[in-house]
Amino acid sequence: MTPLLEVHDLAKTYRIPGKSGIKPAQLKAVDGISLQIAAGETLGLVGESGCGKSTLGKLILGLTPADRGDVLYRGKNLARLSDRQMRPYRRQLQMIFQDPFSSLNPRMTVSETLAEPLIIHRLCAPAQRQQRVAQLLDQVGLESAAADRYPHEFSGGQRQRVSIARALAVEPELIIADEPVSALDLSVQAQILNLLREIQLEHNLSYLFIAHDLAVVEHVSDRVAVMYLGKIVETAPAGELYHQPGHPYTEALLNAIPQPDPSRAGRPAPLQGEIPSPLNPPSGCSFHPRCPYATELCRQQEPELLSHGDNRQVACHHSDRVGHNKT
Amino acid sequence: MYAPLKKAHNRPLLQVRGLKSYFFTRAGLVKAVDDVSFEIAAGETLALVGESGCGKSITSLSILRLLPEPGRVVDGEIIFDDHDLLRMPPNEIRRVRGNRISMIFQEPMTSLNPVLRIGEQIAEVLRLHRGMTNPEALAQAAELLTRVGIAAAESRLRDFPHQLSGGQRQRVMIAMALACDPQLLIADEPTTALDVTIQAQIMELLSNLGRDRQMATLLISHDLGVVAGYADRVAVMYAGKIVEYAAVGELFKNPAHPYTRGLLACIPRLGDKNPLPTIQGQPNDKHSATDGCAFLERCPTPCGSGGSKIPQLKEISPAHFVRCWRS
Repeated sequence: MTPLLEVHDLAKTYRIPGKSGIKPAQLKAVDGISLQIAAGETLGLVGESGCGKSTLGKLILGLTPADRGDVLYRGKNLARLSDRQMRPYRRQLQMIFQDPFSSLNPRMTVSETLAEPLIIHRLCAPAQRQQRVAQLLDQVGLESAAADRYPHEFSGGQRQRVSIARALAVEPELIIADEPVSALDLSVQAQILNLLREIQLEHNLSYLFIAHDLAVVEHVSDRVAVMYLGKIVETAPAGELYHQPGHPYTEALLNAIPQPDPSRAGRPAPLQGEIPSPLNPPSGCSFHPRCPYATELCRQQEPELLSHGDNRQVACHHSDRVGHNKT
Repeated sequence: MYAPLKKAHNRPLLQVRGLKSYFFTRAGLVKAVDDVSFEIAAGETLALVGESGCGKSITSLSILRLLPEPGRVVDGEIIFDDHDLLRMPPNEIRRVRGNRISMIFQEPMTSLNPVLRIGEQIAEVLRLHRGMTNPEALAQAAELLTRVGIAAAESRLRDFPHQLSGGQRQRVMIAMALACDPQLLIADEPTTALDVTIQAQIMELLSNLGRDRQMATLLISHDLGVVAGYADRVAVMYAGKIVEYAAVGELFKNPAHPYTRGLLACIPRLGDKNPLPTIQGQPNDKHSATDGCAFLERCPTPCGSGGSKIPQLKEISPAHFVRCWRS
């Protein structure tokens, strides 16, 4: 079975021009990433700030041109298409952004915001538009009275519902959700995560769910890919990742999640050191300066992403030793 | 001149009693903080927990008398070391701020001066409150940077904030807050803007510093995981009022207010794929309510009793207080 979306060796390097006293530099934001998403599947993409996870989302949608690599959507290579050729595929691939305050046009009513994609993609006869808008609002749990209101009249969670309705308007097959709940309050975060799950089941949607919060990603995803400095360091089914991390960075992320349980005895020592600058990544394995398992080999040779069993891939020289100081 | 009276023993360091901070906006009166009382003893960490708009940050700004217009403290007492901060003349409160009570903020990007070297910013505090000469202050600044875990501190003194990472900037903020050895540190979402591995480092640092110097901490946070790991006691706020107040172990083990229970239930937990329980509605909507329980409309077990009366905090077991008709 061919997956819905297949990404091969996708890469993007930003060139930073030199200024007086500053040398020009290259920032490898996404450095040769491959992944697959099946129909109806959620792939979670987790990593800390600056690891390239948002850039990867934009590369897949062609919002930023890639330097190299392929994005195969149902076998068609989107990375080779012109803007005009790309347009019909934009309907199939939609995006939800982190900040519902800046991703909605403040001068458009909710009804105008939801009708715009219907008009652009000629999806709906003008007479049926208002009915379709009402249906979309209902799907995301908003009252039909919301149609005539402006974004500033809504709370963060309600705005995120409008963003989700806008993505659903064109009946996409894949939604890239870039930190869709990280700007929301805890009680609202749970509402939105449940909503995303409901509409996924209803429409057999696939998600690429990008977030920095491993607990959230683990909860919503079927499989999880962990990114560090532009590369995927581990992919595994969500449940397996949690029980047995294969990469020291995954293990550190799991240990660093603050647990809402004061009776847990002792905290694991936090990971030492800062996230290195992607402008000047370390030699060998880019995680080695922070890694408790690092050896001379890691300083010199970059590990490849290799299969461990059927469903897991890990890029680590010492993955057999990882996962034993999990708490 | 502000001088402490004779040390009264068994007195908490800070006592907030009946604090009311109202905002007189053109759209009407907003009771941002409405009759809030709590205490913090030396060396203790009290967490103020709640979602956006519940009044936790306004409470902390009220303590330092830094409320922005059109906000005003309309009633209450804030007794710090036997003096009422609310009735202190402006020149005396200035000697308390940054000296005996200091504060760190969520955004280390915006709370440092971008055009001053970090050594200069730390030294300023020491010159102002401790009357040090500039060379003395800079030497002390280097020592403080070392204490908060910044390597090669002497050379970093000449760095500007933009040359540091987010975690390092927060360390500089902490160094500045600790410069005068404060008795009370107010930490307003100190790790919310940081990555999870860096968050763990910063919380460990704060916790060690608090223990070594018997410094009391008012930790303001929306993250129940962080609170569980680092607080001694917890006050949960909703719509300007404390709805539950207990020791951290008791609160997480026997949460009694339906809001506290709801918040604890809707955290995604590793290894659990069930749909998340949610709290219906939007947070802190009913701020200007003059009558009735503010949580009534979101309550999963609304009782209807009480009518227009506001439930009072009731001690349901020793030192465990709840504001609910059902308790």
